[in-house]
Amino acid sequence: MSLFLASIGFGLVTASVLAIAAVGFTLQFGVTDVLNLAFGAVMIFSAFVAYLVNENGISVWIGLLIAMAAGSLLSVLLNTAVYTPFQRRGTSPITMVIVSLGMTLIIEFGVQALAGGTAVSYAMSNGPTYKAAGLTLTLVQVIIMVISVLVMLGVHGLLRYTKLGKAMRATAANRNLARNCGIRTGRVITLTWALTGALCGLAGTVFAMDAGSFDATATDIFLVLILAAVFLGGPGQPYGAMLGAVIIGVATEVSASLPFVQADYKYVFAFVALLVMLGVRPTGLLGERT
Amino acid sequence: MNTFYLINLVVYAAVDAMACLGLSQQFGVAGVTNFGFIIFQAAGGYAAAVLSLPADTANGGFQSYLGGWDLPFPLPWIGAAVVGGVIALPFTFLVGRRLRGDFAAVGLLVTAVLLNLIVTNYRPFLNGDAGLSLIPAPFSTNVFSVEPTGYQLAYMAGAVVLGAVVLWFVRRITESPYGRSLRAMRDNDQVADSLGKNLLSMRTVMLVVGGAIAGLSGGVLVTYITTWSPAAWGYAETVVLFAAVIIGGAGNHWGAVLGAVLVPVGFEEVTRFIPTSNNLPPNLIPSLEWVAIGLLIVVFLWARPQGILPERKRVIRVAGVGAAAAGQAGGGAVAAPVAGDGDQEGAAGGLAAEPAPVAAGVALGASAGDEVVLEARGVCRDYGGMRAVHEVSFSVRAGTLTGLIGPNGAGKSTLLAMLAGTLPVTAGAVVYRGQDVTGMPAFRRARLGLVRTFQLASEFKRLTVMENLISAVPVNRGDSFRGAVLGKRYWRADEAAAVARAEGILERFGLEQFASHYAGDLSGGQRRLVEIMRALMAEPGMLLLDEPMAGVHPNLARRIGRELVALCAEGMTILMVEHELAIMDEFCDPVVVMAEGAVLAEGTMEQLRARSEVVEAYLVG
Amino acid sequence: MSAEVSLAGVPLRAEGVTAGYGGDPVIRGISVDVQPGQVISLVGPNGSGKSTLLKSLVGVVRISSGTVSVGGRPVTNLPPEEVARAGVGYVPQVDDVFAPLTVKENLEMGGYLLPHKQVAERIERVLAVFPRLSGMLGRGAGKLSGGERKMLAMGRVLMLDPGVFLLDEPTANLAPIIATSLLEEHVRGLATSGASVLIVEQRAKAVLAISDRTYVLGGGEVRMEGTPAELSASPEFVDSFLGGGHGHHVRSTEG
Repeated sequence: MSLFLASIGFGLVTASVLAIAAVGFTLQFGVTDVLNLAFGAVMIFSAFVAYLVNENGISVWIGLLIAMAAGSLLSVLLNTAVYTPFQRRGTSPITMVIVSLGMTLIIEFGVQALAGGTAVSYAMSNGPTYKAAGLTLTLVQVIIMVISVLVMLGVHGLLRYTKLGKAMRATAANRNLARNCGIRTGRVITLTWALTGALCGLAGTVFAMDAGSFDATATDIFLVLILAAVFLGGPGQPYGAMLGAVIIGVATEVSASLPFVQADYKYVFAFVALLVMLGVRPTGLLGERT
Repeated sequence: MNTFYLINLVVYAAVDAMACLGLSQQFGVAGVTNFGFIIFQAAGGYAAAVLSLPADTANGGFQSYLGGWDLPFPLPWIGAAVVGGVIALPFTFLVGRRLRGDFAAVGLLVTAVLLNLIVTNYRPFLNGDAGLSLIPAPFSTNVFSVEPTGYQLAYMAGAVVLGAVVLWFVRRITESPYGRSLRAMRDNDQVADSLGKNLLSMRTVMLVVGGAIAGLSGGVLVTYITTWSPAAWGYAETVVLFAAVIIGGAGNHWGAVLGAVLVPVGFEEVTRFIPTSNNLPPNLIPSLEWVAIGLLIVVFLWARPQGILPERKRVIRVAGVGAAAAGQAGGGAVAAPVAGDGDQEGAAGGLAAEPAPVAAGVALGASAGDEVVLEARGVCRDYGGMRAVHEVSFSVRAGTLTGLIGPNGAGKSTLLAMLAGTLPVTAGAVVYRGQDVTGMPAFRRARLGLVRTFQLASEFKRLTVMENLISAVPVNRGDSFRGAVLGKRYWRADEAAAVARAEGILERFGLEQFASHYAGDLSGGQRRLVEIMRALMAEPGMLLLDEPMAGVHPNLARRIGRELVALCAEGMTILMVEHELAIMDEFCDPVVVMAEGAVLAEGTMEQLRARSEVVEAYLVG
Repeated sequence: MSAEVSLAGVPLRAEGVTAGYGGDPVIRGISVDVQPGQVISLVGPNGSGKSTLLKSLVGVVRISSGTVSVGGRPVTNLPPEEVARAGVGYVPQVDDVFAPLTVKENLEMGGYLLPHKQVAERIERVLAVFPRLSGMLGRGAGKLSGGERKMLAMGRVLMLDPGVFLLDEPTANLAPIIATSLLEEHVRGLATSGASVLIVEQRAKAVLAISDRTYVLGGGEVRMEGTPAELSASPEFVDSFLGGGHGHHVRSTEG
């Protein structure tokens, strides 16, 4: 029982990290129409930026902010230098996915070339451990959860109540009509890359904190979880991604605690969920029925 | 460089070439993007290992669960191909028609990542991350040391021969009528479906064939290097193969071979010449290799998406006048007699003088009169709560050129799509020649003779005009996987008959000198003609035409109209959506009027004009 | 409608516009002039280039030759968002609302260029023009009926007080009675309030009734133009819809 509860605690932390990443990914796809598989690579790039800052004796929390800026910058660059030129040419979605895989290799192994192949960790304290209602969590884990909740609230507020957020949704829904309203969709898209890139940087750094140690290829598997959460909720649906992240995050860790499941197979649940959604209902739980 | 080193290189090249050929067949020819390709090579590798390992080696106890069969050569290689093909079957559901191509690709990529993770962490089955080793080489008992050069040479020869066999095999498939159908599916799957091609079957066959080839390559590799572990088949290896195929030229099998030599093999070799230095970080060179592969993919897709060796044009030699002009560049596009602005009477005269035979299948409907060929019974279609077509009932009689008119948004195209099976009905029934076809998919209706065209451009762009036409022939012994494998002798007669018929139709419509042009290079009007001609090649009993004259020069439109009338006189039945009422006046009888999703009236244009509700629908708000 | 709103119309002038989607031009050498307070209509069979003309005016389709000006300012081939900023409101025929957004959010997007403070006040004004929308501000635009959806689309454009309205078949898929009231009340109302209105319509007779001048397009060119009275008296006009030189059958239905 205590193992089960502990796994729920782990699950909530995983879900928190996943939610940040999945919301970023799904917003990126919804607004800009690019299924950016290099998202995981940008995450790990940002995590290493935070590591670089941290190595110089600066708090990793400062590093986290710098990592967000770096993720944001790299994402904007990725869009302006690579994806937008391809899209302007009318490149097919499937070719765009191949391009994004190419960018994945460039970024991920670029990081590996610079950082070496060994795993690293942040110099940080996990803080005191809290126990409540059978859950055991470190301070850092609690902070990660709080950050995630704040990000979700922030994204909700942005999309519902701000001009930019509404323009993002309008651009996602109907880009031509948005332009007819006088919205400079090119700028909205650039801002979307900046914003989702910052979320990506944030997700990468808290992922690295949660993982303890990480190397350049650490997000390969995590990308599967992101995709599962995104497709579970319906691609392009931010609230769907939040729901998907909670389901995938908790289910992954809880399944790892089950006696008949080996710890390493905890990803199988996410994988099956993703394949089932793709095969049965590609618009996701919250998506429109086709 | 010593001999052994060279032999190594050639074996690797042969293995990679096989894999690239399988991938190129799927991706370049059939348009199936399989990001999980490496799974099948891995499966083949494990299969060969499990089949050839003896019962007692020091392999982590895995033999106590599975394998240890110690099978003689060539059973492990055959087993590798079989396993590669069989495990491809469950993936069929991902590449079915309903799922967006990029989403399906994500599913396959994720599968590759996950399977690697599972095998890495699960020791009892395939020995986990340590993998299998001491895998016996064919005909060899010497498992502990380097084989003599003679043996190595023989192995190399074997691998090269196998590679050549794979190349021969994929070319045999691709250069057959079946291969043409695969390329048609790649260019426009919905249209291929409407012409009677079974997309699911073709994609399944491609997955299995590609899987088997990948499996074979894995088997050949594993019995050479004698070890196999998850580290050798990470998801990124698939990306390397994609890079090879894209760089070499997707859709060109020699391009795939070239890509295999340049990318996986080339990279391995080039890095050997980089001087090692203790000052360099340990992982630098392999990492930079990956970066370079990523760069190559992006740069090639940008600068030369067709690859170093682009897909070549398949020029089909024809006996007629067209042969001389075949292969000319697209510059002469405006000079076509039909597409030109030449005077109508002249064009009509030319037609009358030359009553070329059209489709053999046309004779099907020769029993003119009151026989009903196609009937809609209370057909409805809802779009997200809005009713686009509401309880439409009408029938089309044999031998008529029936027109379907109505204002924008009246539901004409939706109705046509439901009749053809491209869209399912929400309620009601569609009956073709007395048979209820309501639940029948489009390709089956097409095979019954109910063939449609599309409103938007729907030619197969990277097929020549001739190929577009003969791709639609319903009976061609070579238009099946089996027929393709049996070879040219098996289908040559059917192909020749199809080409002859296509020539007749090309002449009838005056496009014979464009036979060897890519359909995508033609002018808009010519493309509409290609589409109509292609539909005729399908030997339809009934044609459903969706605005066949939209964007066509009026003179050409009239000529098409006259051809359609002539076809109906020969026994064809046609239902045609058209907005130009002058065309309706001249050629169509009867004409059905739709407005706001329902049939408003039916009769000759003369009768319709006298009916106030029709006039209202057009002029009044 | 004129009671609620006063619009500062500006003239729209297109001269010799030739445009298309890359291949052969779809429209050739079309000139149209719209003055404030006028409803100018474009009619003609499907495929005659009416929608393409509107799209070329708002920058969605590229113009290969010819010029477009709004209030004397050239807007030829400006991107759609800049044409909108020049005071042109465009209601496309399909995909005319943001389906996943609520009615209120759709209106807010219509007023995207307005200072924040003005938005609420303008929404009130649009609701005064289209009172039907008042009860459904929180509803998803994708769930509206055809008529409500079109009102929302027009209301969205009205948010900016554009000097020029371009409407592409606003009555398509609407029941005839709703169509007539939309044209008579709202489309004519826009012009009465001072705006310049260019409308593409399939319901020729209904749109003639509210037009100051009508252009008949065919095969990508202007075939006829004139006032409603002139056109109604012309047998060729009716023929251009029902074809075949049998105009006398329908002339009795003219209004």
